Amino acid sequence: MKGIFSVLVENRDGVLSGISALFARRGYNIESLTVGETEKRDVSSMTIVSTGDARTIDQIEKQLNKKVDVIKVRRLDENKSIAMEMLLIKVSYSATNRAALIETCSVMGAKIMHVAPKNMIIELHSDPDTVGEFIELVRSFGILEVQKTGTIAMNKN
Amino acid sequence: MNGAEAMVKCLEAEGITKIFGIPGVAIAPFYEALYNTDKIEHILVRQEQAAGHAASGYARITRKPAVCVTSSGPGATNLITALATAYADSIPMVAITGQVKSSLLGRDVFQEADMRGATASFVKHSYLVKNADEIPTIMKEAFYIASTGRKGPVLIDIPCDVQLTELRKSFDYSKEINMRGYKPSIKGNSQQMAKVIKAINNAKRPLICAGGGVILGNGEKIVREFCEKFNIPLVHTMMGIGVLPKKHPLYFGMLGNNGKPYANRAVNNSDLLIVVGARIADRAVARPEHLEKQVNIIHIDIDTAEIGKNLGPTIPLVGDVKDVFASLLEADIKVDTAAWIEKLKEIKTTTVDSRVFSEKMVNPIELVQTLSEKMDDDAVYVADVGQNQLWSADNYIMKEGRFLTTGGMGTMGYSIPAGVGAKVADPTKQVVVVCGDGSFQMSMFELATIAVNKIPLKILVVRNQFLGLVREHQAKTYEHHYSGVQLYDFPRYDKLSEAYDMDYFYADSNETLGAELDRFLACTNAAIMVCDVDYNNYTQ
Repeated sequence: MKGIFSVLVENRDGVLSGISALFARRGYNIESLTVGETEKRDVSSMTIVSTGDARTIDQIEKQLNKKVDVIKVRRLDENKSIAMEMLLIKVSYSATNRAALIETCSVMGAKIMHVAPKNMIIELHSDPDTVGEFIELVRSFGILEVQKTGTIAMNKN
Repeated sequence: MNGAEAMVKCLEAEGITKIFGIPGVAIAPFYEALYNTDKIEHILVRQEQAAGHAASGYARITRKPAVCVTSSGPGATNLITALATAYADSIPMVAITGQVKSSLLGRDVFQEADMRGATASFVKHSYLVKNADEIPTIMKEAFYIASTGRKGPVLIDIPCDVQLTELRKSFDYSKEINMRGYKPSIKGNSQQMAKVIKAINNAKRPLICAGGGVILGNGEKIVREFCEKFNIPLVHTMMGIGVLPKKHPLYFGMLGNNGKPYANRAVNNSDLLIVVGARIADRAVARPEHLEKQVNIIHIDIDTAEIGKNLGPTIPLVGDVKDVFASLLEADIKVDTAAWIEKLKEIKTTTVDSRVFSEKMVNPIELVQTLSEKMDDDAVYVADVGQNQLWSADNYIMKEGRFLTTGGMGTMGYSIPAGVGAKVADPTKQVVVVCGDGSFQMSMFELATIAVNKIPLKILVVRNQFLGLVREHQAKTYEHHYSGVQLYDFPRYDKLSEAYDMDYFYADSNETLGAELDRFLACTNAAIMVCDVDYNNYTQ
């Protein structure tokens, strides 16, 4: 199963490495990890997406809570939270499929950020599933490069 | 006041009177500050790992955080095994390591080691001090974190220039601790508490399984009261030795693959297992998933993460052992266990120990039993790791003393420095170290610390000229292919004793054992006693 954790931590050096060391040492999987400052300068927010059985996901929450630099851990329910990722993707095109690519972008709500003679850079920010679907949709055009952020998520309540 | 002086002042404020360590250039300012105080005695050990183990022994006897100090680089990395050992056994400890100048951090200069990184998974928390004005807060937090909740080691890595920097603010150690990320819960949740009481009332065959957490939480007395008030029997893990004396009518032995078979049978026959301060690792219960299905389990622990990690309990309860059992003592509990205790007595008398011991030389079982019977009631027994540990844990006759060993990490060489720490912590107590000839040689450099400081420690070496437990494993698993396990008959212990001004005793038979043990325990000096045992004796 998937576990999405929203973790508030002290904004200090060594905190990120402490969290990643915890995952490494206990063999927990990290699908994505995103860190950024919050509205308070001394607090950072991390969104960590992990997979594992129920006991592992439960242990991750407890072990995160044990860290002295961790202020708060929230487990997010996919149905009751907003999760977003941002994608930058460089896709090649030819004269024959150019229109099809532009149409795919427009249907999926992706934005064309830059057009070169043989490729374009497309940006999409959406929920993780849509971002995944979009990558699959443009795969046949020829993907030259992918840059993707991890998931950031927030509880609706 | 500079950073180093502030650190010493903080230690004084914490009531620290003894510290263990080895100096070096990167921690020299701290040692200069130490030179100028008469409130703290520094005990120079011979290798940094011993400083950590000595602090561990000291902390376990005083039941307060103990302090060890090293320099940077290799001095600090030598400490890591001791930190890992203390972390696995939840020992409160503050480790101070010197570090290279802050401006040189990360440049791989002479004796630089990234201690925070290296110890990330072996400490409860760690600090790299960058600002001397933060020292009082950091030191206070470190002692608080080490000694509260689930106890453990805290590392303070301090660059030498920070030690020399003058504090800009005036020294203040009175500030309240306020860490938003660290608020250990002590009181058991009342709803969970009600479920626990109900489960005990519904049980016909309740059994307590006490772990090291009971002792770390100073809960021996109150758990004993609980057992006695409601007539509930008890088994324990290796780290839980000492919650009940062996003679107690409610005592039913140590569980696990190194424990008493009747204790394991008791667990399997119970209908409610109350696990207190134990993580139920592989050595205690080999297949926890079977046990979960068989019996109802109440798991009481100060550490939320311990609950459900190895064993899925029916009722989890997070809280401090003293607090939880104080409430349980007052609770409306009525449980009739007379038939269950009769059954346990029957199990105890009918479970046969099928192990056969060699007729040659000293019988290790008899050795541990005779030694512990002859020791003072409140003596401290420090067991090392290996066959000696398993024979000790299994056969030690607990009275009102302490049994120290490393259960989690199983670090060979623990017993001698830990024994030094225990004896320094309470010189009035008889302290006997029991180790094998393999574990002895992993810490024998500490004989110098014993000699110089005139610490009348008793070291008993169970000698079989092999790394016995590995040999036993190779005998059973690798068709007697003994690979890299033979120690031969070195060192010459009589000469070693003489070299370090220690008395020397020796027994090679059960007949001479008793009288020689009497002389060994009666002598006022530090002493080594060698007991030769047959290497064909096994633990299982």
